[in-house]
Amino acid sequence: MSSPRFEAFLAALYVDADTRQRFLADPHATARQAGLDASEVDALARIDRVGLELAARSFASKRAARSRPRLGRRLLDAGARLLRPGQVL
Amino acid sequence: MAVGVAVVADAVVGAAVTEAARDRVGLGWRPELAATILTHLDRIDVVEVIADDYFDAGRGALRALRTLAVQVPVVLHGVSLGLASTLAVDRARLDAMARVVEWVAPDAWSEHLAFVRAGGREIGHLAAPPRTAATVEGTARNVAWARRVVGAAPLLENVATLIDPPGSDRDEPAWISEVAETAGVDVLLDLHNLYANAVNFGFDAREALARLPVERVSAVHLAGGRWIGRLLDDHLHDVPDAVFSLLTELASIAPRPLTVIIERDGNFPLPARLLAELDRAREALARGRTRQPCESAA
Repeated sequence: MSSPRFEAFLAALYVDADTRQRFLADPHATARQAGLDASEVDALARIDRVGLELAARSFASKRAARSRPRLGRRLLDAGARLLRPGQVL
Repeated sequence: MAVGVAVVADAVVGAAVTEAARDRVGLGWRPELAATILTHLDRIDVVEVIADDYFDAGRGALRALRTLAVQVPVVLHGVSLGLASTLAVDRARLDAMARVVEWVAPDAWSEHLAFVRAGGREIGHLAAPPRTAATVEGTARNVAWARRVVGAAPLLENVATLIDPPGSDRDEPAWISEVAETAGVDVLLDLHNLYANAVNFGFDAREALARLPVERVSAVHLAGGRWIGRLLDDHLHDVPDAVFSLLTELASIAPRPLTVIIERDGNFPLPARLLAELDRAREALARGRTRQPCESAA
C-alpha cells in the first residue's frame, strides 16, 4: 500500500475541491478512475471523512498564508545591516 | 545511613543537573519576535530558523543569517522537502538546503515526516503520509540522498494531522520507530503534535511516547493549538499543561541532551509571557531529569 499514484490521489483530495466532492459522492468509482488498485480503493472508501474536510480546510488556509511576502527574512536582513560582520550584541 | 541516603540523593540530583545543563531551550525565529530574542539572549539558548525562507536568498541575506548565528546558536528547520514519501525528494530543494547549511553551519538541521506535494500538486503544508512499509522505505531513500547532498542527515519530526492517514497499516509510534531505524536518523519530537494526534485519534500520548525511540530524540518542539472539531496545531496559543507534562516524561527517559524549541507563529504574547514559557520548559526538563536513574543520566 502507498505508491506515488496513491499519494498523488491524496494530494488531489486535499487540494482540489471538485475532486473531493466527486470522491465523497462515489469513493470507489473515483478512486478506480484514478488507476488505484483494489486495496487502495478499499482503503480510500474507509477514509476519515471528518478529518478529510478539516485537513483540506487547514491546507487551504496554509496555502493562502504562504502567498504572503516573507517578512521574516526581510526584517532579519534589515537588522543585520545595522551590525558589522562579527559584531556581537 | 541518613548520610548515605543523602549522598545517593545528591548524586542523582547532580547527574540530573549535569544533564539539564546540557539541555537547551529556545525559540523559533519569527520577525515579530526578533526584538524579544535579540534583547534576551541571556535567557535563550538557541534559535531555530526556517531554512526554506533562505532557499532563494542572495549572499547578503545569508550573511545576515550568519550574523544571527554569531549571536546565538542556530538550528535550521525545513518545511518543504517532503521527505516522507514514495516520491523522490526534489534535487533543487536539497541543493538549496545544502547551500543554507553551508553558510550557517548550524548545530543541526531537521525536516518533517510528511509529504507536501504529489502528482504536480502542492498541498501547501505538511501531510501525514500513509504509514506503510513503502513510505518507510521511501523516507529512508530520501534521507540517504539528503545526507549525501547536504552533508549531514536531518533530524526527522513527527507531524500533527487532522486526518487519520488513509492506507496506513501501522500506528504512529511503530511507523516512526521503523523510519528512524531504517533511515538511521535522530528524531525531533514535537510533543504538541503527539498530543494533538492522541486527542484527535483517541490514544494515550504517554503510552505512545514510551513506544517511540526516545534514545534517538535529541530535539523537541513545543507549541499550542485550538479546537476546531479536532485539535489543530496552529502555533498561535500557549503550550498547554499536558504538553509540559509530556516534556517532563520525556526528560525522565531520554538519555541524550535535548534542544527544546517553542514554536509561536502568531498571536504573539508579551515578551515576559513568552520568556516565562521558556522558564517553564526548563523547569519541566529539570523535573524529568531528576527522575532519571543515575546510569541513564550519566
